[in-house]
Amino acid sequence: MTHPQHPPSGAPQPVAGDAGPQAGADQGWLRVHVISPLVRGWIALVAVLYFVGRDWFEGLFGPGADGRSPLPEGVGVLPAVGILVGVVLLVAGAFLLSWYCTRYQITRDHVRVHSGIVFRQQRQARLDRVQAIDIVQPFLARVFGLAELKFEVADAGESAVRLAFLKLDDARRLRAIILARAAGVEPDPEHPEEILEAPEREVVVVPPGRVLGSTALSGTSIALVVAAAVVVTLGVVFETPIVATSFIPILIGVGGAYWAALSTGYNFRAATSPDGLRIRYGLLDTRAQTVPPGRVQALGIVQPPLWRFKGWYRVTANVAGYGASASNEGQARATLLPVGTRDDVLQILALVLPDPGTDRPVELFAAGLAGRDGGEGFVTTPRRARWLAPLAWRRTGFAVTSTALLLRSGVLWRRLAVVPHERTQSLAIEQGPVDRRFRLADLVLHTTPGPVSPRVTLADASTAWELFHGQAARAAEARRRSGPEQWMRPLPVAVPQPPTAPPDGLPTAGGAVTPAVTPAVPAVALPPEEALLDAAAPRPSPPTAQAAPSAEEGPVDEAARHAAQPAVPPVASAAVPTAVSPAAAPAASPAVSPAVPPPAPPAASPTEEAPIDGAAPHSGPPAPVLRQVMPVAPRYTPSPPNTEGVPDGRH
Amino acid sequence: MRREPIDPSGLEWSRVSPKYLRVRVLGWLIGSLLWLALSCVPLVLRLTGVWDSFPPLWLAWALPGAVLIAAVWRGVLLPRQVAAIGYAERDDDLLVRHGVIFQRTMVVPYGRMQYVDVAVGPLERAFGICTLKLHTASAATNAEIPGLPTDEGARLREQLSARGQARLAGL
Repeated sequence: MTHPQHPPSGAPQPVAGDAGPQAGADQGWLRVHVISPLVRGWIALVAVLYFVGRDWFEGLFGPGADGRSPLPEGVGVLPAVGILVGVVLLVAGAFLLSWYCTRYQITRDHVRVHSGIVFRQQRQARLDRVQAIDIVQPFLARVFGLAELKFEVADAGESAVRLAFLKLDDARRLRAIILARAAGVEPDPEHPEEILEAPEREVVVVPPGRVLGSTALSGTSIALVVAAAVVVTLGVVFETPIVATSFIPILIGVGGAYWAALSTGYNFRAATSPDGLRIRYGLLDTRAQTVPPGRVQALGIVQPPLWRFKGWYRVTANVAGYGASASNEGQARATLLPVGTRDDVLQILALVLPDPGTDRPVELFAAGLAGRDGGEGFVTTPRRARWLAPLAWRRTGFAVTSTALLLRSGVLWRRLAVVPHERTQSLAIEQGPVDRRFRLADLVLHTTPGPVSPRVTLADASTAWELFHGQAARAAEARRRSGPEQWMRPLPVAVPQPPTAPPDGLPTAGGAVTPAVTPAVPAVALPPEEALLDAAAPRPSPPTAQAAPSAEEGPVDEAARHAAQPAVPPVASAAVPTAVSPAAAPAASPAVSPAVPPPAPPAASPTEEAPIDGAAPHSGPPAPVLRQVMPVAPRYTPSPPNTEGVPDGRH
Repeated sequence: MRREPIDPSGLEWSRVSPKYLRVRVLGWLIGSLLWLALSCVPLVLRLTGVWDSFPPLWLAWALPGAVLIAAVWRGVLLPRQVAAIGYAERDDDLLVRHGVIFQRTMVVPYGRMQYVDVAVGPLERAFGICTLKLHTASAATNAEIPGLPTDEGARLREQLSARGQARLAGL
């Protein structure tokens, strides 16, 4: 069979833009791989073959098969073969037709998919609305070297665009093109086709042994032991061994859970790239997810009780495109780290939240992960509420930094939720009759659907109220500061940023600029000079974003640094001094050592002023080049006085 | 409107139309009568002798009694519940509060609003009021302002849309 499929880069690429749906209607329309329907429908096919074939097969070899035709009486061989061929042709024709009618196109601003034979569907999604891009390879697709591309927008769940299946290389190339355009990178005018994949630096690898160990020590094992105890007790008490049979479905369920944990945690790797966080995992089905910068709405860190002995944590995230699916796949997608040490967790945190908004990020997150009572700016449930939560009251609490809110809870299952201020959707404060009696209140942060549901429980009512107001003001302030959706595109017109004026004089509005302002807790911020003594960590300043990594940092790619050199172009546009890029927030703290999360965004800012009309002169390397700069993985560094006291975290 | 300790200081709540109380009372009456009629079925059957012994007589009496008490309790609470609904437009966000026993105050930034619903049911239409609902990207945001006069609802909807446009933020 011929393959009339055009590779995405071979066809005339519709770089022309979105002059109108008609303008580029005939160019750049592509189709998925021709055997895709087969790969997608293989289960149905296998089932049909099994049921049809089994009868036939048994008829051939079954007892008394000798001499008997496998066909029913009175049916000749020729018509039977004819019918079979006809059915096969019909199915193949339907597959081909559905394949032929599904076309996709990627323009400068949109991805479009037309599908359907009788009921036609035309779908169009804006590229800069991308929340995540996954490349999924189910086992059979892997055998054929195919992959599915999923393009997620914020509709909580179902993928906006699914291209199943493409050749793996084509899928990768398409992902690179989509991400480059979504990032706002203008293609090189001379070589518009040359959009390469952004380089990535691997930051966290989960060894298979740890996946096995974490599965064995997971909550599933606890549930298994509890279930076994219940079954045995019932069996002994009622003296009926029959009860033991009820253990079988439990075993099946537990086995499924173990398998899901193993197969999704296997070979887990997280990397940073100018396109955002990139994670890969999978045993039989593999998946490579890319979450662009600023798309993580909330982060949750959980430690099941048995993981405490090994110092392991799991990191999950709310990403708008992933939704709150309870399926194994949905849970795996929302997991940024299935099991990792504290160092790994801090690494992921540094990628997601490059500016922690405090001088002591390591200490703060350590207190959040395992600490209790006050300290590091945490405010806990007041003592008068200890009878309402006798175990948890010393741990339940929150801390505010200038960029995020940390919510700590749980004694057995330790939890920490981190919500960047600019990602807060809405807030609610709730108070029931018991709360009122004890002058307490709950604060609920609403984020997009996902595994993390941040909530401050049993907080002192006036504190909660202060937090409510402060958080509303901080969120508004952070939204004003937050960068463009297209993370590599400079702000089109430099909006004069209101320096740091607290809006409306609300109670804790100042918290938007001063680190870790929490009521009733003495300031823990170090004088910046002291923090600066830490090796060579320079204070980052937004325009010259290429701060050299500090000496004690891990090996930094020399080439990357060289490549990064031209990234600080001569200041050429008036917009530069005020251009605030997402990563170089004004409150960038000296505690983040290389200070530049993905180095590209800040560096990209000064290069162009108004890329939309393309008239702005280039004053430096074009953005596509910047996108090829090997990213430097940001890390939180412990503050100097406590450096020795911080345990390594590895076990 | 009565101030609750949970309320923020220096904030003037707009309250909903008094007609909303009438709508709620009507709804409460209809609902309560239905429930009461339903709960009386065993009693009637028992008294008429269709069922001879199964529900003991005291239980047959207790059922409608309990329903009656619950209905009265809800009825007593209704005016306070309606009075407890309030909203306030601030520069950057909208505050909505609900509840008497379980109180809840919510702040929805204008820039976070994805869309605004205005819904009118048959009873509400008869009284000229409507219900406004705000949606953000979070499913947990169920900010609802019931009992707005129709023109106030329309004004608020336009106002919210305009402000949402002005303060548009990504996710």
